[in-house]
Amino acid sequence: MKTLRIAALAALLGATALAAPAHADVKIGLLGGISGPIAAMAPAMIDSANLAISQVNEAGGILDGRKLIGVVGDSACNPQNATDAATKAVNLEGVIAIVGPHCSGAVLAAANSVTIPAGVTIVTPSGTSPEITTLQDNDTVFRTVPSDDYQGRALARTLLERGTTKVAVAYLNNDYGKGLAEAFRAEFEEKGGEIAGFAAHEGERASYRSNLADLAAGGADTLVILDYGDGSGLTMLRQALENGFFENFVGGDGMKSDAPIRELGADNLTTFIASAPVGQQSDALEVFNKAFSDIGGDPNAIFVTTSYDATFMLALAIEKAGADKSKVSAALREISNGEGEPILPGEWAKAKELIAAGTAIDYRGAAGEHNFDEAGDVPGAYALFKVSGSTFEVIAEME
Amino acid sequence: MEWLGFVNYAVFMAIFIGIYALLALGLNIQWGYTGLFNAGIAGFFAVGAYTSAILTTPFVPGRVGGFDLPVPVGWLGAMVAAGLIAWPIGKICLRLRSDYLAIATIGVAEIIRLVVKSEGWLTNAARGITNIPRPFGDLAYTMSQLAYLAIVAGVLLAAYLLVERQFASPWGRMMRAIRDNEDAARAMGKDVPYRRLEAFIFGSALMGLGGALFVHFNRTITPEAIDPMVATFLVWIMLILGGSGNNRGAILGVAVVWIIWSVSEIVTDRLPHEYAVKAKYLRVFLIGLMLQLVLRFRPEGLLPEPRGKGRRPEAAAQGARPPAASD
Repeated sequence: MKTLRIAALAALLGATALAAPAHADVKIGLLGGISGPIAAMAPAMIDSANLAISQVNEAGGILDGRKLIGVVGDSACNPQNATDAATKAVNLEGVIAIVGPHCSGAVLAAANSVTIPAGVTIVTPSGTSPEITTLQDNDTVFRTVPSDDYQGRALARTLLERGTTKVAVAYLNNDYGKGLAEAFRAEFEEKGGEIAGFAAHEGERASYRSNLADLAAGGADTLVILDYGDGSGLTMLRQALENGFFENFVGGDGMKSDAPIRELGADNLTTFIASAPVGQQSDALEVFNKAFSDIGGDPNAIFVTTSYDATFMLALAIEKAGADKSKVSAALREISNGEGEPILPGEWAKAKELIAAGTAIDYRGAAGEHNFDEAGDVPGAYALFKVSGSTFEVIAEME
Repeated sequence: MEWLGFVNYAVFMAIFIGIYALLALGLNIQWGYTGLFNAGIAGFFAVGAYTSAILTTPFVPGRVGGFDLPVPVGWLGAMVAAGLIAWPIGKICLRLRSDYLAIATIGVAEIIRLVVKSEGWLTNAARGITNIPRPFGDLAYTMSQLAYLAIVAGVLLAAYLLVERQFASPWGRMMRAIRDNEDAARAMGKDVPYRRLEAFIFGSALMGLGGALFVHFNRTITPEAIDPMVATFLVWIMLILGGSGNNRGAILGVAVVWIIWSVSEIVTDRLPHEYAVKAKYLRVFLIGLMLQLVLRFRPEGLLPEPRGKGRRPEAAAQGARPPAASD
């Protein structure tokens, strides 16, 4: 029992330590998959969220000059840790809103069991599962990254427009790959295309030759790979090229990674194209890229723009709503509904003045305009990329 | 209201401890009392979780289900399903010696995980099942959590009393005899494979129940929840640390590990930001270190197995035998 008492004591000490400064500062939670399967991606996302927070604090702070503080929690990409981290953020830290969690399963669990009952608004920068759209959330769950549904459908339409009517689809068996693949298939078949092979594969295998042989048996010469370009997607692409299973390759945003170019060489990737979200307002994206590079971040890292936007928008919403968590979600819709004075990333002082004057503002983010639809989703803008030299180059906008 | 926040957090932790305590009790039946090395807890957890989810959710196109049954039916179903899955596995694997059983159960859990991830008609695959009802889920945040805690505590208490009763009974003594000296037990005319199968099924049914309680609390289940790290190895650490062979030890182990795991994050958050993020990795290390220290200095666990009138023979168990309880 001794250990239990010590643990309980530690809990109390920890709790009293953080009880004191709660009223002086405005806190928002930054829940991310710091340990777990996306541990490689999460730190950059947290860094870009912290960039938004430091910009707010440098330009006069939030509300009446208070300090905005990001409380980092580890949601570890699983429901157990996500609910634990969300409970701590909401109840012990007293956060007004939350950026995250990062993974879709973590978002669903944390929203259902903690943030929706507690009335705390969450904005996920990377939870792309279509299930998040249908949450009964009292309008408290938003995201700055488009649902996989949008990208899959857009990719299908673009391929058909470009004259590709018969493809095989290989997708990574997780919520990302499956969400994309199913949306792609639905749209592709509806618009008259033919799916000559459709199969899931598990990540991190040494060989996908048998999967590829099965897919090639359908007779398509184009393979759509919905996977990550620095993981099993790369292996698949390499083996398909080596063995000549397919001629043309199409990827989603996960495949638009530098790894295939580095590993396979641009010469071998002339028939490879990939779709990825692009910032609609390129000036907003440039402003962000510069600011993030200045603090030593890599602006091309995945989901850093959406993390930044989610954080900055929540700060704007809190500025507008006051430190009242029940009003944040309504304010979040008001600060970015396509009407009002445009605000670019980092323009905190300008936004603060306009909000104080009661003028409508419209945030234009690094990852897009973020005009939320009824479910709290954003449509997103995509472009098709091809390999050019050591990097990717846009070949077409996608509708 | 600060104190309300503490209450909410404490209640949340208590619910999680209750759910994991069911898993640890199930494992205690299998390992602590019978010496079966089940390394596939996540599999039975998953079977229970998904069974209850499928039974109690409304109809969704493209997936089996729409039974919309009351929650207690889902929980019973979860126990039955986990038990039914355990039966053929036990039938095949329990004749293997303990380390082979561990390998076989890891394999089975992995099969279950891949089925869950791949079979969309059954489990909605990687997207998971949502809109699972929580009993008293319509109440406000705090009340709803308190109501659920009452349910979990009630279920856990019932499970604990039943398992305690079972161990005090001749059945429990027989199981310990089989664990400590299989040959002797066989010579006394005990049907060893059949008794082991019983323990395996009972334990698995409790794990299934734990899974069911978990999904109704979260109102959603996705395959990430049945990752072996959080659903198998964490439970093992809890049981070994608390004391295998002792039900109170099992529950204590769950409480200690979960509290240290969760509270350590509050402590590391006091650090400056650049260290706070790094310190999250340290928490994982902390759990491993704790296990090492316990195994080194207190191998029988915090609360060791009670030794009543029928003292366990010290010598020469040939069959499966918890290493933590000897020496």
